[in-house]
Amino acid sequence: MSKFRLLSWVSLLIIASMLLAACAPTATEVPPPPTEAPATEAPVVTEAPATEAPIEPPPPAEAKVVTFIWTQEFDTLNPLYTQMWFVTALFPVYVCQAWWFDDQNSPIPNLVTEIPSVENGSISEDQRTITLKLRDDIVWSDGTPITSADFKFTYDMLMADGNAVASRSPYDLMASLETPDERTVVVTFPEPYAPWLSSLFSGSSGISIVPAHILQPVFDAEGTIDTAEWNTAPTVSCGPFVFDEWQSGSFARFVANDNFWLGRPKLDELFFRFVPDDASMIAALVAGDGDVGTFFAYSDVPQLEEAGITILNSFSGFNEGWYINMHPEKGNPALKDVRVRQALAYAFNREKLVQDVLLGLTNVAATDYDNSPWIDPSITPYPYDPEKATALLAEAGWTDTNGDGTVDKDGVELVLKYGTTNREVRQDTQAVAQQDLAAVGIGTDLQSYDSDLFFSSYAEDGPSANFSLDIIEYSDAPNFPDPDSSVWRCSEIPTDDNPVGVNTSGLCDEKLEALFVQQESQVDFNERQQTLYEITRYIFDQAYWIGIWQDPDLFGFSNRMINVKMSGAIPFFNIAEWDVTP
Amino acid sequence: MTRYILRRLLQAIPLLFIISLVLFILMQNMGDPLATMGGRKVTRTEDRIRLARQLGLDKPILVQYVYWLVGNDWAKTDMDGDGVAETSGTRKGVLRGDWGISLVNRQPVTKVVGERLSNTLLLMVTAEAVIIIAALLIGIYSALNQYTAVDNVITAATFIFYSMPVFFFALLAMYIFAVNFKKWGLPYLPTVGMFEPAAGQTPAQVAWHMVLPVATLSFGFIAGYSRYIRSTMLEAMGQDYVRTAKAKGLPRREVVYIHALKNAALPIVTIIALDLPFLLGGAIVTERIFGWPGMGRLFLDHVSRSDTAVVMGILMMIAVAVIVFQILADVTYAWLDPRIRYK
Repeated sequence: MSKFRLLSWVSLLIIASMLLAACAPTATEVPPPPTEAPATEAPVVTEAPATEAPIEPPPPAEAKVVTFIWTQEFDTLNPLYTQMWFVTALFPVYVCQAWWFDDQNSPIPNLVTEIPSVENGSISEDQRTITLKLRDDIVWSDGTPITSADFKFTYDMLMADGNAVASRSPYDLMASLETPDERTVVVTFPEPYAPWLSSLFSGSSGISIVPAHILQPVFDAEGTIDTAEWNTAPTVSCGPFVFDEWQSGSFARFVANDNFWLGRPKLDELFFRFVPDDASMIAALVAGDGDVGTFFAYSDVPQLEEAGITILNSFSGFNEGWYINMHPEKGNPALKDVRVRQALAYAFNREKLVQDVLLGLTNVAATDYDNSPWIDPSITPYPYDPEKATALLAEAGWTDTNGDGTVDKDGVELVLKYGTTNREVRQDTQAVAQQDLAAVGIGTDLQSYDSDLFFSSYAEDGPSANFSLDIIEYSDAPNFPDPDSSVWRCSEIPTDDNPVGVNTSGLCDEKLEALFVQQESQVDFNERQQTLYEITRYIFDQAYWIGIWQDPDLFGFSNRMINVKMSGAIPFFNIAEWDVTP
Repeated sequence: MTRYILRRLLQAIPLLFIISLVLFILMQNMGDPLATMGGRKVTRTEDRIRLARQLGLDKPILVQYVYWLVGNDWAKTDMDGDGVAETSGTRKGVLRGDWGISLVNRQPVTKVVGERLSNTLLLMVTAEAVIIIAALLIGIYSALNQYTAVDNVITAATFIFYSMPVFFFALLAMYIFAVNFKKWGLPYLPTVGMFEPAAGQTPAQVAWHMVLPVATLSFGFIAGYSRYIRSTMLEAMGQDYVRTAKAKGLPRREVVYIHALKNAALPIVTIIALDLPFLLGGAIVTERIFGWPGMGRLFLDHVSRSDTAVVMGILMMIAVAVIVFQILADVTYAWLDPRIRYK
């Protein structure tokens, strides 16, 4: 009897848990696509011939649902509180910005009527004031008009001390944000601010506006919107899709926004399934349980392609390369000689690495600015030339005097400490590089770390920031598509006084610093491009950074998906156009 | 017995206090929560300083612990960075039922944990039930049929399954029963998740999606537990009281299930009692591979972002559960073995 009771209790518990789990809101029925023709088109009326038998109403169209296999769950959906790629990549899905970037990384208006420029008068002559002219037809998903007040409110929320927002950049650099009327937003900077295009209410690292009519009452009542319900359930938003449901750890669902001013999207629903394991993501895509996945290992690509998955590269400014430790005191003295740095580039057969390890799916990177308009087009990667590497080393005084296979100078052997994260492809790269460098007499001491440990700050004694390594491998694109980068700035060298500095190579080159300062205030694209050409050429010639491979974000799409285009800056910029084959 | 339970509960209070302090200090060494707030780029220096101030991460560790424990509504905080503490705190502290706010999503810890608990219990309780039932059946069968061909096959199989890593079994099962079965045109299981978006979250869908995770969670434990049961049953079956029961002419079923199994179950109770608290913690590897939204994944996600409030919430919940289940195990011991008396 007791055993029977025990079993009964266990069974009841299981059933109760199952019901609890299943009691969460069930799949939302997606409304069928509107049957009315767009307002701009004249309605077509067809009369049924009287002689024909009554036609049975067609079965309701099956909802067009696209399933994303998303390896990281969102932290929050409030764009003010997140910099997480797995959320910012979805900005074009559920929020709106002043402009997006297309597949050529060119800006395309979203909330504004035109992209500001000096020519159209939206940028002042002194280049300090930028005016955003808003469209007349923009509305939140609940039908409330989007006005300049929403921009002002977003700005105020960013700057409010009660709100622990993710970043205030570049809003804390502004002198003012004014809204002379409902359709105009005027932003003034104290100095010309060149990166405005990729960060002013735009860009993946920028900010999307938030609805004042929803969040203002929350802020007034609580003095903060940190814990607002809208942050995890933005049921009123302004993208082509609108939030419907998010079940922690399991899935999130966005449905078509019927009030989207550019027209209802072609898909009815986007379903994001959170699957943190890479191997499971691959299995789910291969099995057809998902339509979209991303961040594949290169070695998984053949299997995906065999299963009919189309791979699209999104060049988001990331280029894998070696940052050479140039710290004035802590850097390896051998690497202060440009000839030794260039020898590293000539000695490493990166073309072979790209073919063998990365399956030829990308290219050798020449500079940190590859696949952007900022790289001097005359730059090509250093070719593989071990003889030249040996000659450069000899010219710099490094030869193998004791016959142990490693070059030396003044009794010191050239052995470099080379560290990166323990990502598989990086460890493979280390092994190949070690072999190639050894062939010209350069020894390497390989180090690999967990990613969070490797990227810990100087204050945390992170190996990428404490100057204990001679070669530091990773990729970085802080403000893509903007070229501004603090990793080369003298003021960003980590020190005891500035333990969170991001210049992990410790380089402070006067000429480079002057060029970076110059481009900071060049609002004119062409002028700035010329300065960046000079910067990229200089870094390349000095071999301060040695490129390994261009590191695009790999996206996979099932073969039923059509109209998909990818932007490096805003991957899903045309998601409203995506469709599936019947 | 009541006095014994009360005494054990009172002893648990200082123990939990010490556990919380140790865990809190260890958590501070898990990484920098601000480092991950910049997404793919390094958190800007100005933002780092501001966030540390607003989130109270610039305070000494013991002050942070005190705030976590008793709240900070009695203290003032400098929110605007002018060096003057002007804003009253809002946290009430764990002792007043406020487990804090997650650094990752700014949601209350109780909500964050609560959203996952039912999913974890569903998966883990089902798996535990499967484990216990299957292990009992296999263990008893093996003990009653010692050294037969079937017993030898079971023994070999249990050793194979016991030594197989969970992730390997999980991925192998996924590729065979989900990916390849589909490719071969056979009835197939789903790869990941709790339900199909088109079908919705129905009990049938959830049950269907549980098959592979439950199988993965169970196989190793069934193998291990069945060996324990086999050996304890073999020992019990050789005891005088079993011989006496047989000599009295009791039916074999009664001899095995009432006299032998009840006595053989004592060590199993200890093992299961140790397992039960960790049911709340979920299964990190299995949940990760099958995309099951449970506590294991929650723990991993928030540890990786150094989210002290959520991680402390989960760990303290498990600590309490360990203590409670240990007391329950002691009570069960007394029920199973009349010779045991607690004072």
